[in-house]
Amino acid sequence: MKEKRHIGSGALSAPKLSECLLTAPSFIWLVAFFLIPSVLVFAIAFKSADSAGGISDTWTFDTLLNVVRADYLGVIWRTIWVSCLVTIICLLLAVPVAYWIAQQKKEYRYWLLLATIIPLWTNFLIRIFAWRVLLHPEGFLRRSLIFLGIIPEDVFLLNNIGSVIIVTVYTCLPFAILPIYAAAEKFNFALIEAARDLGASRFKAFRSIFLPGIKRGIFTAVLLVLIPAMGSYAIPDLVGGVDGELLGNKIATRVSSSRNLPEAAALAAMLALIITLPFIAMLFKQKRLVKYIVNIRRSAGDSTK
Amino acid sequence: MKKIMQKILTAAFISAIALLWGCGPSKPVLNVYMWSDYIDPELVKDFERENGCKVIIDIFDSNEFMYSKLKAGGTGYDVILPTTYMAKVMFEQNMIEKLDLSKIPNSKYISKDYLKDLAVDKEMKYSIPYMLGYTCIAYNKEKLGEIPASWAVFGDEKYKGRMTMLNDMRETIGAALFFNGFKMNSTDDKELSKAKETLLEWKKNLAKFDNEVYKVGIQSGEFVIVQGYSGDLFQVLDETPSLSFMCPKEGLSISCDDWVIPAGAPNRELAYKFIDYVTNPKNAAKNMEFTCYSAPIPEAKKYISEENQNHPGMIMPVELYKKGEIIEDLGDDNSKYIKIWDEIKGN
Repeated sequence: MKEKRHIGSGALSAPKLSECLLTAPSFIWLVAFFLIPSVLVFAIAFKSADSAGGISDTWTFDTLLNVVRADYLGVIWRTIWVSCLVTIICLLLAVPVAYWIAQQKKEYRYWLLLATIIPLWTNFLIRIFAWRVLLHPEGFLRRSLIFLGIIPEDVFLLNNIGSVIIVTVYTCLPFAILPIYAAAEKFNFALIEAARDLGASRFKAFRSIFLPGIKRGIFTAVLLVLIPAMGSYAIPDLVGGVDGELLGNKIATRVSSSRNLPEAAALAAMLALIITLPFIAMLFKQKRLVKYIVNIRRSAGDSTK
Repeated sequence: MKKIMQKILTAAFISAIALLWGCGPSKPVLNVYMWSDYIDPELVKDFERENGCKVIIDIFDSNEFMYSKLKAGGTGYDVILPTTYMAKVMFEQNMIEKLDLSKIPNSKYISKDYLKDLAVDKEMKYSIPYMLGYTCIAYNKEKLGEIPASWAVFGDEKYKGRMTMLNDMRETIGAALFFNGFKMNSTDDKELSKAKETLLEWKKNLAKFDNEVYKVGIQSGEFVIVQGYSGDLFQVLDETPSLSFMCPKEGLSISCDDWVIPAGAPNRELAYKFIDYVTNPKNAAKNMEFTCYSAPIPEAKKYISEENQNHPGMIMPVELYKKGEIIEDLGDDNSKYIKIWDEIKGN
């Protein structure tokens, strides 16, 4: 085996070839159904639309410039703050849950994980409609809240930005719990005990030992929640109110009744950029941050890293 | 290696034969492109039998999607069923052919009232109407009692948070235009800005602009008043006796889907036969009972079953032809509506 690898330095060696063959299906899949369509979307953003709904033959910057006008700011801002809020709520809920699951006995852990995943077996749309039943104005929940005097008679639980946030948090939560759990499972809980022995308070141990320890999991959870939340379309459409429109709904309107594919493409491209840029920045920053922390630890004589 | 190649070749050969077999030796094929569940499958079978052909129905769920598919080079269709406004756009762009009415003898049954009062293509130059629907208001009669037939109901604060209007710019701005006494195809800036003011007032009372959940919503009591398409609403109304509906006196939007033959249709003769077949009053009646929509063919009423003789969806009252308007394509002026709709949604 070892010999072969050395011989094949010129042409493709056997292991390398098999590696290529193994990656080929997923690579071709990604290129054909992800990369090419994405490039097309970016390309169409440089076209303009005619009033019948066709796409012009010439290239232009107008569509892109048109998208960064003031009218869109409201929708873009709403999309950003809603999805950031959803991400924060998901993290606040997922970290304690993952922490708790990771500390359970092994045989219970799988059951708890299963309980997290089972809701995903039901169709996404059906779960949204279930929420419509739960938050129904004549429903048990609203009636009891009114009865207990928690909400006044004219407050509705459905068709507002609040219901959009609640339902989005609900649908995204498993995707926050799973990666954080995966990180927490590998975390060495003896470190927390050590910190406690050395006089750290419970909260301090949690914050400065546990959280940095599961940083990767948190980062993945942020990705898995923030990106779908940003592009969310069905949830604001089904449980949102008159002012609940997010960027995803705007794009759908542009494709259908506005008959303006280029503007839809430009909006989609912008959404992609809004999502990508902070993460690229974060990745760079994280690298620097890791270096920074390592340096501090070294200078403090920390030998663990 | 050789063995594998042999296997692949055999497989390819067999599947090629299977494909050819599926096409049939000489049976002509009619390719129809239309909305889903919009024709009685029995009729399609009968047509296949009578003409010794095969009918393949392909489905679209929005005019815009159908249009972009054709523009992107989708060909091979013999008959298409766009909504009126889109049929006009397609005709103006030479995407569909002029019809030879002598090949559609049943076109004489098409209602003269419809052609005079409503139709965009009044001489059936390029399209034959298939089914009419309209936009009306359903309400919970048990809770509200009778309510006056007017769009003004959306301005009533009593029902705040329990009403919906359609998430469709032409329908909803159109309703506000009617309310102010204008035409729903207006392109006048003053009229449109008046309509916008009205809609912003109404918006305060609405739960949402919606095309999806209003049917379940009105049925479950979540909403008490909804603007909706007749086809959707009558499904719900037939099941729920506590609900009722009204056609606002100021006017309402009527929509029609029209049969057209795309330019370069491979099987033109069969396409004509098909359009003639569905325009036959007897067959139109079957389709009306199947879809709950109304064909503009007065003769068809004779063949409608006793229980459906007064069905407001199938037997559309003729006075609605006078009250109603068909949404037309406004060309460049469409952008005015898009702008107003954005402003209403964004405020």
